[in-house]
Amino acid sequence: MKTKNLLVVIACTGLFAGCATVPNELVNAREVYQRASTGPAAQVAPAELHVAQQALTQAEQSFQKHPDSYQTRDLAYVAQRKSEIAEATASIAIEQKSQNQAKNDYLATQGKIVAKTKQDLSQTRAELVTSERNGEMKEERLVAEQAARTTADKRTVTAQAARNVADQRAANAQEERIAADMRTADAQAALARLAAVKEEPRGLVITLSGSVLFASGKYALLNSAMTKLDEVAFALKAQDAGKRMVVEGHTDSQGSDSTNQPLSLNRAIAVRDYLVSRGVAPEKITAVGLSSSRPITDNKTAENRANNRRVEIIIERESHTSNP
Amino acid sequence: MRYPRIQVQKQNSMKQLSKNAMMAVAVAVVAAAIIAGCASSTPLRTEASTSGIRAAEEVGAAKVPRASLHLQMAKEELDLAKGLAIKGEQEKADSMLLRAEADAELAVALSREDAEKSEARAAVESVRQLRQDNK
Repeated sequence: MKTKNLLVVIACTGLFAGCATVPNELVNAREVYQRASTGPAAQVAPAELHVAQQALTQAEQSFQKHPDSYQTRDLAYVAQRKSEIAEATASIAIEQKSQNQAKNDYLATQGKIVAKTKQDLSQTRAELVTSERNGEMKEERLVAEQAARTTADKRTVTAQAARNVADQRAANAQEERIAADMRTADAQAALARLAAVKEEPRGLVITLSGSVLFASGKYALLNSAMTKLDEVAFALKAQDAGKRMVVEGHTDSQGSDSTNQPLSLNRAIAVRDYLVSRGVAPEKITAVGLSSSRPITDNKTAENRANNRRVEIIIERESHTSNP
Repeated sequence: MRYPRIQVQKQNSMKQLSKNAMMAVAVAVVAAAIIAGCASSTPLRTEASTSGIRAAEEVGAAKVPRASLHLQMAKEELDLAKGLAIKGEQEKADSMLLRAEADAELAVALSREDAEKSEARAAVESVRQLRQDNK
C-alpha cells in the first residue's frame, strides 16, 4: 500500500517536473527501493524499509521543487543507500534465522545421535550379558559334561580295577587250587606211602592200623606210632588247609560196647591231639569214637579183627561232613 | 641649512614604516573579517559521519569488498564535505555529509551481513558434517 502511494507520488512528481531530467541518483533510488520493497525486507526489515521510503519521499519532494539541485541528488543518493541498508538488514535477519535453524538442527541431530548411542550401548550391554550368561552356561555344561565323563571314566577305571582284582583273585584262587591240588596230590602220594589211602564218597580216608598205633586195649600212642603220625601230620598240613578232617576210632567186635566206645574215642582223641601237636589246625580236625559199629570186614578171623581195629583219618570233601 | 643624507633616509624609512603598518592593519582587518565570517556560520557537524566511518572500520568493513567500497566512499565524501565547508559552501557540505553518513551506515550493514552469512554457512556445514560423520 505504501509502495503504491509512493509510486503515485513518483508519477505526480514526473508530471509536475515536466520535462526535467530525472537525476541518475533518483532513478537508482527508485529502482533500489522497488527491489527492496518487493523483497524480504518488507517482512523482516519493515522499519528499515520505512526509513528508506521516507528518504525516497524526501528526495522526490526535493526533485519536485528543485529538479536539478545538488540537494535532490544527495537526497536521492541517501534514499538509495537507505533502501540498500534495508535489504542488508533483511539479509542479516534471514541469515540469523538460518543460523538459528542450523543450530537447532545441530542440537536435534546431536540429541538423536546421543539417544541412538545410548540405545546401542544398552543393546550391546544386554547382548554382552546374554553372551556371558550363555558362555557361563556353556561352560557349566562343559564342566558338568567333563565331570560326568570323569566320573564315568573313574567308574570305568574302578570297574576295570575291580575286574582286575577279581581276575587276579580268580587267578590266585586258581593258582591256589592248582597248588592245593598239587599239594593234595603230593599229600596223598605221601600218605599213600604211610598208610592205606582210599577215596570214598565221604572224602579221602587214611586208614592207620590200630596195632601200629596202640598197644592192645590201650589208647596211648606207641613211640613208633608217633614217628608215623609225624609224617602223617606233615602230609596233612601240606594239603588244602581249608578241608576239615575227622579222626575216627574203630574197634573190633570183641568186648562190649561200653568198653569199645570209650576206647575208640580215646584212641581217636589221642591221634587227633598228636596231629594237632604237630601243627595240624585244631579247628579243622575232630575226633570221633565209633566202637565196632563200622567194621571194614567181618570179625570172624583174627586178621579181619585186626583190620577192624583201626583209626581212620577222613579228609572230608569241602561240602561234606563225616557222620559218625 | 642643508639636511644631511641621513636625515633624508630617515624620512623615507618613516614613510615605509607607515606603509607597513597600514598593510598590517589591512591584513588584520581582512583576517578578522574572515574569522568573523567563519564564526558567524554553522560549524560542520561531522560527528555522525565520523563515528559511522569508525564503526564501519571496527566491524571490519575494509575486509568485505562491498562494505570496503562504501567505507571508502564515506571517507571521500567526508573529505569533500570538509572541503566544501572551507570554501564556505556550508549547505553543500552538510548535504555531502549526509552521503558520507549513509555510505558509512551501509558499510556497517554490509559488513554485518557478510559476517552473518559466514556464520550461517558454518552452522549449516556443521550440521551436514555431523550427519555425515554419524551415518
